[in-house]
Amino acid sequence: MNTEARLQRAKEILAPFAKETLTPEANRVDVVIDAADLTKATAAMKSANWGYLSAITGMDLGPDAGQLEALYHFCDAAAVTSLRVRLPREGQPEIDSVADQVPVASFYERELSEMLGVIVVGTPDPTHLFLPDDWPEGVFPNRRDFKIEDAAPVERDIPKVPDQGRMGNKFIVPIGPQHPALKEPGHFEFAVDGEIITGARMRLGYVHRGIEKATEQRNWIQNLYLLERICGICSHTHTSAYAQGAEKLAQVEVPMRALAIRELVAGLERIHSHLLWLGVAAHEAGFDTLFMYSWRDRETVMSLLEELTGNRVNYSISILGGVKQDVGLEQSKSVRKAMDYLEERIRYYLDVVTSDAMFLQRTRGIGTMSRDEAILYGALGPTARASGLERDVRVDAPYGAYSKYPVSLITDERGDLEAKFVVRLKELLVSCFTIRTIVDNLPAGELAVRFPRKVPAGETVSRVEAPRGEAFYFIKSEGGESPTRLKIRTPSLCNWTSVLNKAVGHQLADVPMMIAGMDPCFSCNDRMVTVRRKDDSQTMTWAQLRAYGIEKYKSR
Amino acid sequence: MIATPNLINKVVSGITTWARVNSPWIIHFNSGSCNGCDIEILATLTPYYDIERFGIKLKGSPRHADVLICTGPVTRQARSRLLRIYEQMPEPKFVVAVGSCGISGGTFAGCYNIVGHIDEVLPVDAYIPGCPPRPEAIIDGVVKLLTHLKNGTRPEPIKPQLGEQA
Repeated sequence: MNTEARLQRAKEILAPFAKETLTPEANRVDVVIDAADLTKATAAMKSANWGYLSAITGMDLGPDAGQLEALYHFCDAAAVTSLRVRLPREGQPEIDSVADQVPVASFYERELSEMLGVIVVGTPDPTHLFLPDDWPEGVFPNRRDFKIEDAAPVERDIPKVPDQGRMGNKFIVPIGPQHPALKEPGHFEFAVDGEIITGARMRLGYVHRGIEKATEQRNWIQNLYLLERICGICSHTHTSAYAQGAEKLAQVEVPMRALAIRELVAGLERIHSHLLWLGVAAHEAGFDTLFMYSWRDRETVMSLLEELTGNRVNYSISILGGVKQDVGLEQSKSVRKAMDYLEERIRYYLDVVTSDAMFLQRTRGIGTMSRDEAILYGALGPTARASGLERDVRVDAPYGAYSKYPVSLITDERGDLEAKFVVRLKELLVSCFTIRTIVDNLPAGELAVRFPRKVPAGETVSRVEAPRGEAFYFIKSEGGESPTRLKIRTPSLCNWTSVLNKAVGHQLADVPMMIAGMDPCFSCNDRMVTVRRKDDSQTMTWAQLRAYGIEKYKSR
Repeated sequence: MIATPNLINKVVSGITTWARVNSPWIIHFNSGSCNGCDIEILATLTPYYDIERFGIKLKGSPRHADVLICTGPVTRQARSRLLRIYEQMPEPKFVVAVGSCGISGGTFAGCYNIVGHIDEVLPVDAYIPGCPPRPEAIIDGVVKLLTHLKNGTRPEPIKPQLGEQA
């Protein structure tokens, strides 16, 4: 089915609810619906199997318009359907929760409520998602009239885990935010029964910086450098997604050579990111030799990136309208040499992770996620592909130069941790192949075209496949020097649902590996999640807990 | 010669300084960084840059650490944790701020969830500028800190001159 047919189908599904149907771009449909129809419309999309809920964008249209907008973006291959719900700005803007149909929506809804002040009725957890605990009530950073002075810290009753690690009849093991295995701050609370996990909760927000709001105060060009610093690992993904969106809005045609160089750097970034992940994941399993090996080989890519772009980490290769540096003959030679070396090493690692008996005990059959579960939890990227779910923006909706230099889709049916290693390593071989193809067939032409200072009014959706999955950008311009609204949804956020749900029933010792299995990136997703907490209203005294323990022991 | 308490103290402190200089243990905390600095710190520990040749070891617990390496601006949520980790470290303790954000807030200065840069929260002994700093720069900063420790002095921090804040 092509994009047009998909959009036509979406229009038919949504026809009973549609107040107004717009086609802002060739691959998008905007359907304005009533807030009361939202759950029904979502159910219709879900039962018709039309794509997946990719993000919810909350927008404030300003005090003059007196309206808020919530956009529910569904993606199916290249087609994007947005349900647009208009809400009053004053009083009690209320909307129904869709989290019972789409579990991942629970984070999006909490973000919507705390950033914009929309009351989501029936959302599983209405507490703070990624704003700090001392944030004042009734202050919403994504509203147009938000002032930083209003957000001064206030004393608040902070919901805490009860003392002595008990929550009802469960024992809570807190992990983080400072943690020896994870280099980034995230706080987890695992409810355990002996060694077995019965519930998982997590609090992020330690690296939430408020980038979405900051983009509104910087101009189009400054934003490129700000967004690059969303994440130091997949920085090029963010500049690509942003530049691609801004270029679409400004109707700037980027030269093919620039797009090819962007894809080349994206390929190298994927290699650096996956090798980094391989090392960290091996480290979690206690396999430090593999950690050291893969990080040594990763330096090959880092040197290459430095040679091509001038920087090891935040490459700054993309500019609005093209790229900054060219790839010359000398550099092509280095790229080919490095690929020869890396291919050999990646094949070796593929052999190690599928044959080392000790390592397989930590990965084979652990955290197995079926294809249906991957769909239900909204998994993305290698996490989804390891469960046999074919979801890859580079293949489904080729952007930039991906239609000229396609990549092949790697999936694995098994869904366990071993499959995640295999999928990522095979993807690296694909990346090496694509990189070679690009340097061998680099099209001639300009590197960049002129980009206007002011971008014409409009809205656009830009999707890019990051090493961890689909990164989703929604950009709105009102013709000014800076964007009016820039919404970012990063892949790690979607993958948390799957990991936290799958952790239940596993041993506590498997948790670091399972978390590593999805390649979490806190700096980009920074939000807070709660899943599978059974009723915790019951509190126990120490004597009761002891009695419970004795009884449980006897009943074995 | 009879060992006086003074002499014992001197010998013991000599040994601890010797041990600290030859094998400082570090702890790393990200209080709001984009990860760029963190992966570069990790890269210094791996075979290519191999900071372990200076006896430096990354530890998981603040109670084992001599040096706290911080990255990123300090977010409101991470502030109390950063302070708690600092307080848990035994004396004498040293703080190294890595990266532009840690030094000045960098590109995130002025964002609503940022408390400020690291030296607004903790006393910082060494600053390593860069976005992110190269592993060589991180090694250089740590070695400069060690040279001071050898002399038994706390380094006089030279804060990079900040331009007009964007």
